Formats: sequence, C-alpha cells, structure tokens
Amino acid sequence: MIEAITVKDLYKLYRVGDSIVRALDGVSFEIHKGEFCAIVGTSGSGKSTLLNMLAGLEKPTKGEIVISGSHIEKMKEDELVRFRREHVGFIFQSFHLIGTMNALENVALPLMFRGEPAKERLRKADRMLSLMGLDRHKKHMPNQMSGGQQQRVGVARALVSDPDIIFADEPTGNLDSHTSEEVMRLMRRVVQSQGKTLVMVTHDDHLAEYADRVFHIIDGKIVKIDVNTSEKNEKGKKYETI
Amino acid sequence: MRWSDLLRMSAGSLKRRKLRAFLTILGVVIGTASIVVMISLGLGLQQSMYEQMELDGGTTGLTVTGKSGDGMMYSYSTDAGSEEESSKYITDDTIEEIKALEHVKSADPVLNFSALALKGKYEGYLQLYGMTLEAMESLNLELEPGGRLPDPDSPELELVFGNMVLVDFYEKGTGSGYWDTGELPDIDLQNDKLFVILDQDSYYQTQSTPEMGAEGGAEGGENTVRTPKKYVLGACGVIAGGPDTYNTNSYNVLCDIYKLKEYLQKEFRGRAIPGQPTTQSGKPYSQFVYSSASVQADDMENVEELAQTIRSLGYDVYTNVEYINGMKKTLGMVQAVLGGIGAVSLLVAAIGIANTMMMAIYERTKEIGVMKVIGCSLKNIRQLFLLEAAFIGFIGGVAGNVLSLIISAVINVLIPGESLWGTEGNISYIPIWLMLASMGFAVLVGMAAGYFPAVRAMKLSPLAAIRNE
Repeated sequence: MIEAITVKDLYKLYRVGDSIVRALDGVSFEIHKGEFCAIVGTSGSGKSTLLNMLAGLEKPTKGEIVISGSHIEKMKEDELVRFRREHVGFIFQSFHLIGTMNALENVALPLMFRGEPAKERLRKADRMLSLMGLDRHKKHMPNQMSGGQQQRVGVARALVSDPDIIFADEPTGNLDSHTSEEVMRLMRRVVQSQGKTLVMVTHDDHLAEYADRVFHIIDGKIVKIDVNTSEKNEKGKKYETI
Repeated sequence: MRWSDLLRMSAGSLKRRKLRAFLTILGVVIGTASIVVMISLGLGLQQSMYEQMELDGGTTGLTVTGKSGDGMMYSYSTDAGSEEESSKYITDDTIEEIKALEHVKSADPVLNFSALALKGKYEGYLQLYGMTLEAMESLNLELEPGGRLPDPDSPELELVFGNMVLVDFYEKGTGSGYWDTGELPDIDLQNDKLFVILDQDSYYQTQSTPEMGAEGGAEGGENTVRTPKKYVLGACGVIAGGPDTYNTNSYNVLCDIYKLKEYLQKEFRGRAIPGQPTTQSGKPYSQFVYSSASVQADDMENVEELAQTIRSLGYDVYTNVEYINGMKKTLGMVQAVLGGIGAVSLLVAAIGIANTMMMAIYERTKEIGVMKVIGCSLKNIRQLFLLEAAFIGFIGGVAGNVLSLIISAVINVLIPGESLWGTEGNISYIPIWLMLASMGFAVLVGMAAGYFPAVRAMKLSPLAAIRNE
C-alpha cells in the first residue's frame, strides 16, 4: 500500500505561562493513499493541532511529516503555500466561502491562484458543482444558500484542483444532523469514486463511522486506531448505489 | 495568479465598501488637486514671464552695440569719433564677423532712426527701425489683415507701423494727443500716406524761422536753411492689436534697412547723417554704421558664452540671460513652496489610504487566511493589497486632475492674467506632463501608503482563518 502521509514522533509543545502544554506528545502513524481517515477526540485533545500541522499551517516542535514524498516540516511559508496549492484541498467547519463571490467563482478560486485562465477554471468549477448536486445554485452568493449547500460548495472547492489529499476540519460542525449525514455521504462517495485521501477531524464518534480508519486521540497521544469494516462503510456504499 | 485576476479581485474588494473607498479617494482627490493647482499657479507665472521675455526679445536674442572710446554711446554723441582708435562700430564687417562665430544662428544689422511724420493737422515722431527682411520675418509679427512685410525691391520705403504708433501723434495746434483726449488721431495707417521728414533739424529751422521775428530771421538767412524733403510714404502693413495691447514693436515703425540707408544717404548727401559717427573734422565715418546688431544664438544655453565672445571682440552686448537665470531661480523656489503646500494635503490623504488599508486587512483577516490555506501565494496577497491601494491612488489622481482642470479654468476666468502680472496669459496653467506626473505620483503615494498594510496582510497567519469562532 502506498503511504500518502507518514508522521513520525510528532511533538508540539506550547508554553502557557510557566508550564509547558504538550498538545501533541509523540504521535506516529501512516495514512494510505485513497484512505478516509477520521481523527476523533474531545476539544483540547490535540486533534486540530495535528490537522493544522499536516496541512502545514503550524510548525511542529519536533518530528517528521512526509506528505506525497515531501518533508513539509522543513518547508518555508511560501513553499508550504505552493505545496497546498498543488497537493492539498481544505474543507472548513464554517465553510469560509468568499462573501463577494458566487458559488461558481468560489469553487474556481484555487484554480485562479494557480493561474488558470478564467474560461477553463469556470468550466471545471461548473462540473464540480454539478457533481455536488448544486446545479441550481451556481450563481448564488454564499448568503443565499443554506449551510448544507454552502458546505457542498466548500467540498467542491477542495476538490476542484484535483488534490492528492483533502483535509476537513469538523466539516459538519456547523450543520444540523440531517444535513451532516448528507454531507458525510457526499464526501464518502467522492473520496471513493475519485480515489482521494481524506483526513477529517471530528469530535463526533457517530460521524467517524463513515471513515475507513478512526484515530482516537487523547491528550496529544493516539490511544486507539479503529478499522471500520462492513456495516459502517456500507452507508457510503449504499448511498452510491442509490 | 494572472494580472487580470489580480486587478479584478482588488477592484472588487474596493467596491465592497463603497462609502469608505469613496471617502479615501476623496482625500486623494483633494491632495492631488491641491498639488496640481498650486503648481499650475507657479507654471502660469513662469509662462507669463517667458511670454514677457518673448516680447522683450526672446531668450536666445543678443543685442550687440558698438563701443565708443569716450564711453558715451556714439548714437547720441556726434563727436564720439575723436578717439576712433578705441571705438567699435557696427558695420557690415562686424555683422560678417559675428556671423562667423560659433553658436550664431543669425546676425542682422539694425538701424534706428527718428523721423517726423505729418498728416493733416497731426504730427508725430516715428521710431524707424531698419531691418533686413529675414530679421523681420523672424520676429513673427502678427499683421492686420491685408498687411505684408516690406518688399526690399520696392522703389519706395515701405513701412510697417506698430499698433501703438498713433498714440504718440498729437494735434499740431493744441499739442493734445491720445493721452489727453483718449481718442486716436483720425488716421488710417493702413491706407493713408504720411509725410515723413528725415532731416528734422532742417525742418525745425525752417519752421521756427518765421516765428523768431526779424532778428532770428536774419540769422536764419545767414545759415542757408535747407528745405528738408518731405517723403510721401505709405504703409505696407500694420501690426495687429489696438492701442492697449503692448508688444516689443508697438511703438516702432519697421522698414527695410537697405532702403532706409539709401534714403538717409540721399537726404544727407555730403553731410553727416545724425547718429553716424564723424571724424574730428565733422566728416562722415568711412563706413556706414548701424545702430546695433540683432544676434540670435542657436540655443538658450549658449547665449552666455556667445555674449562673452562678442564682448571680447570689443562690443557691448545685452542679453536676457542674467535676468532669465535669476527668474528661473525665483520660479523654482515659488514652485517648490507651492508644491510643498499641496503635498501636505496629499500626505494627509496617504495617511487616509494607510488607515483604510489597515481596516480592510482587519476586516478580511479571515478571508486572507482562507486564501492562504487554499493556495494563494504570499506574493499574490501582497500584490492584491498593493493594487487596491494603487487603485485608490489612481482613481483619486484622475478625479483630482479633473477637479484641478475645473478649478484652473474657474481661476482663469475669474482673474484674468493682466490684472496680476500686467501681461496676458493665464494665471493657472496645467500642462500634460503635470497631469501625468501627478497621476503617477498619486499612484505611487497610494502604493507607498499601502505597502505596510500589504506586508502585514502577507504575514497574517492562516491559522486565524480556520480557528473556529
């Protein structure tokens, strides 16, 4: 199996006043290509810190992170930005769509940063939105859409640049449970059909059941790795056949 | 990112906060307009000074006069020839000599002669200026319709009257002229012929004789008074303008120099022509002497050097250069002060831009972070904000220039130039280069003010964006 992400002995220490807080305390794991992983933990467990470091938004205190063969802990900020642009998609909890752009333009944004011509990127964004089932909302502004619709635009934006890995930070944190299920099924389906690696952070054990593997993290340490088989993954597969 | 996308995005973010953008731009508009209007006043002053200079003989002109040994101007002293050795006269040889010098574009003799003109009940003095046709052409005289320059081949002496010549005419009996009555003599210079008397001395002798009574009459008889010839001369042209529009040649009567010389030599045959140097015995000087030479240098820069060269040949030279240099210094200072006053308001506008950009960055912290997370390069982010600031500067610069043009037009209409500096021309003058430079400057100021906010935006942590609120 090809490793998409390899993490070795990752530490992140914060100084809070006189004491030192270990946000991450020696984490090591691998995520395979095409895998859907969930990182589950309570707030303050270090799960968000881990995701931020995987995405190159925070520097680790110690340790190695290898994504698609590159050591991202050694990269400078502009290299990290380029790396994210080429290899990474990001889904946010509060969607973070640009308020002055319509759905289509929002989805096309990562392609614009790559310097793709307008016609080309709008065509790709259009196709991606159709895939998300948002045909009727392409020209809508973010404030004209529901949370679920906005998050689907967010998913489309993460996928449009055809990244190797997608990071999702509590993607359903701002959605009601019904919409959450919908978005999860959508993500599951896309990951499976396009063979993307998806790393999701959540505090919801129930949502974690959509993942192939679940990393349980407590106090900066991975305490348990569940491998989901049959029934839980069936949800996604069932959806696909519908 | 592509430039077109960068431009569109930064223009788009400006549109988001219309009122704030408008107010910031307004600051730049006022700043730019104040600089442009202030400098335009300085330039207007400069231009009218240059125009004045043009009337006074231009910036490249030199007037060369002879030098007489006793230090007196030969033209007013008939016995100047007493020390001929050290005297320098402008003769045909002199003209040739000057023409051969470096940096000389042209050198032409000028013959100045005062004559008396009679017409009906009026009489007046004419300042005759004999010039070559080329020199006259180079004056770029503006003649009244139908006028032309004198034809050197014409058998008669043809005159070009200055537009203010008639002002000096007065009524013979009462002695009142234009300055007393406010009315110009009823003479149509263009079409009427005048009696012109070149030999004034003889004319006055003949005039005064009868009035002086018996004693004077006897004296007059002894001296064998010559009756001066009255030449009937007509105009071939009149310089355009009324009695109030002054130019260098307003009071002068121009004519062909060789014709004038011919007339003078005929009139004063065997005697010294007034104004010509004479030998000690009262005999005329061997060569015909001109009043002055009008020399044009090829460039303003060379005037001083040329003047020195001609001085070293022993002539007196007058140029406008010293005056121009002094004037330039003064103008430079005036413009710097005026521009400085204007620049203060642009500085205030720059602070406004910086403030607006900082606000925009605080507002868009999240957006900037998201953009970084999804792959917008640091350089692009900086460019976006710099462009936004440059847009503010550019729009403000353009609008400021439009405003300046309006203000300038209003100033020029309300306050005519004559009232301030006594010459024609506008008080405020905005050349194209000033408009372009001020717009460029406004953009530059905008970008300078936007630079630190832009760098700050670039350095914002992307973490701030995904931190959940």
